[in-house]
Amino acid sequence: MSEQVGDTASTGTGGEPGGGPTRRDPLSLLFQPGGWRLERRLETRAVHELYATLIALAITAVIIGLLVIIAGVSPLSAFSSLYDGAFGDRESALETLVQATPLILTGLAAAIAFRAGVWNIGGQGQFIAGAIGTWWVYDTMPGLPAPLLFVAMFAGAAVFGAVWASVASVLLVRYGTNEILTTVMLNFVIDYGLSWLLSGPWQANNTPYSQTERMVESTFLPRFFDDSRLHLGFAIALVMAAVVHFVVRRTTLGFELRAVGVNKQAAAYKGISTGAAIIAVMAISGALAGMAGAGELLGLHHRINFEFGEQMIGFTGIIIALVARLHPAGVIVVAIAFAGLLNGSTQMQIGTGIPAALVTVIEGVALVLVLLAAVACRYRLRRAAAHADESAEGPG
Amino acid sequence: MEDFFTYSVILGIFVATVKIATPLLIAATGELVAESSGILNLSLEGTMTIGAFTGFLVANETGSLWLGLVGAAVGGGALGLLMALMTATVKVNQVVAGLALNILGLGGAFFWYRSVYDEGGAVALPTVDRFDTATVPLLADIPAVGEILFDQHWLTYFAVLMVPATFIFLYRTKYGLELRSIGHNPEACDMRGVGIISRQYTAVVYGGVMAGLGGAFLSLSEAGQFFPDIIAGRGWIALAIVIFGNWRASWILVGSLLFGFLEATQLSLQASDVNLPYQLLLALPFVLTIAALVLNRSRSRVPLALTIPYHRGER
Repeated sequence: MSEQVGDTASTGTGGEPGGGPTRRDPLSLLFQPGGWRLERRLETRAVHELYATLIALAITAVIIGLLVIIAGVSPLSAFSSLYDGAFGDRESALETLVQATPLILTGLAAAIAFRAGVWNIGGQGQFIAGAIGTWWVYDTMPGLPAPLLFVAMFAGAAVFGAVWASVASVLLVRYGTNEILTTVMLNFVIDYGLSWLLSGPWQANNTPYSQTERMVESTFLPRFFDDSRLHLGFAIALVMAAVVHFVVRRTTLGFELRAVGVNKQAAAYKGISTGAAIIAVMAISGALAGMAGAGELLGLHHRINFEFGEQMIGFTGIIIALVARLHPAGVIVVAIAFAGLLNGSTQMQIGTGIPAALVTVIEGVALVLVLLAAVACRYRLRRAAAHADESAEGPG
Repeated sequence: MEDFFTYSVILGIFVATVKIATPLLIAATGELVAESSGILNLSLEGTMTIGAFTGFLVANETGSLWLGLVGAAVGGGALGLLMALMTATVKVNQVVAGLALNILGLGGAFFWYRSVYDEGGAVALPTVDRFDTATVPLLADIPAVGEILFDQHWLTYFAVLMVPATFIFLYRTKYGLELRSIGHNPEACDMRGVGIISRQYTAVVYGGVMAGLGGAFLSLSEAGQFFPDIIAGRGWIALAIVIFGNWRASWILVGSLLFGFLEATQLSLQASDVNLPYQLLLALPFVLTIAALVLNRSRSRVPLALTIPYHRGER
């Protein structure tokens, strides 16, 4: 079974019967005169997808290299200082993992929702909802003993994230409102909500800044090493990746949500409650993004301030999920790679003068090319000799 | 509180309303045309940023604001062309393509800006002379109304004119009818021999050009400079306005003015010492948009094939 996200075409039919010529496809027009034609594969294999993704990333590197040359720097020195800053020594490698931690969770959040064909673009808002939930538990339940408090704070984050995501899924199931549009809107609503909390009810005393008090030290997530900020949140993120993989692959719910993602109607005919599946997957997705917020708050920042959402961790998670082709293990790899880019870009800027914004360009180019590659690997080139007569009919 | 309701403050709010609505209106009318052809372009934020930057770059290099506008149109149109290529031809999922180009636009503008203007360390931000306001003779002398409506930037007049122009194009021309038909039922159009892909290209590139011009309003008419956060969510707001306006040009005008009014009011509130959470006014447009989605669902004018790629011979 091909599991292409965002490909409504390959979901229903598996291509032309008998693998006939597909000059219906506009791409094939490019190949008309030479006698070659593009043919739709009946099914795509995971290996092909992997190769296509790797080729896309290689082309990305070439394009970025050209950009760097235009900017007047040798790509070799730019890439090597980028690499040094990201993975060059123990300290920077661990810092890369620190930055990967929330990205893994928001990446998983997007991946599981997209698997079910639910376009949760609200990871950013659910991430902030998670931080709000964490602080709310911290603020209202001060008497809890440490281990229980940690559990409660993460649960609070998951619940807040899930509830915020459910606003969109309930509207989708109940009224059919497009979840893409509602989740985008909800991101803004909670952003302003947080801004209000930080300048009003939750504002720290004696400060002009929009921020909460600093949390007490007993609520800090434990760190693995003395010389790095790497905290327990990273392990939690890895565990959640395994959980997501297990849920998607090995449970009834996972089967149902994949079925809904491939073909809603067929799933409904099979007796799957698509509404329930959508609600469930959005809640899980929101909970994951919310936990990312808890991890950042408890592991790194220890207070919410107005900059909390500025790193766009929720949005980056979407890109990561897509580049990883929605595979949980892939999400881990891509999240670490993206975190490496973010982490290494500072050193690159200092060392070579290339603006750190290059990272965003890399992300954009990589995503565009991976998407194109995903389509390309559904086709193959064939010699077209016999069907020349069919090209007589005009294009649409 | 009494200080707030003075003539000059309220007049100022209305003048600002029209000014703030301008880039939203330009981008939203463009997006309306793109969406009418069945393609949801989520990359407005990035496209507006690119437009703001290329407009500024050209204006700064050539010294001509008008050439700057051409630059903005080309920059926005280029991203629109990429969007059309990915969605109309290659048929990548529109949401995903939009998000990808969004980040490409944001990152590209930011990177390019830094490469050209940032020579390490704190440099004074380069600026261009802004467009003057274009005062309409006589009409501008009408008290209050003249100041609000007829003493604005000329891009504002352009934006308002685009509302009837877009309506006439979509509802009173053959090409517009064909565009909307493609957005509703591409199979039928294909059967009638209406070329789908070429029209989608036209619509999406046009949307990109308009988004670029909307961005350029901010860099060339408002700020006189470029900075990475210049669009500050306006691309998303423009998308919201199309939804809020239920895909109708007239209601898009209403939505733009309403969103502009709320923004202008909250700015005045922040400047005054009225103790009201200004965030409420900022969040309100997005809540209203969700409400509009729910309430309009039975008479929704959303193009039925929006986000659904058309593959000939497949369902």
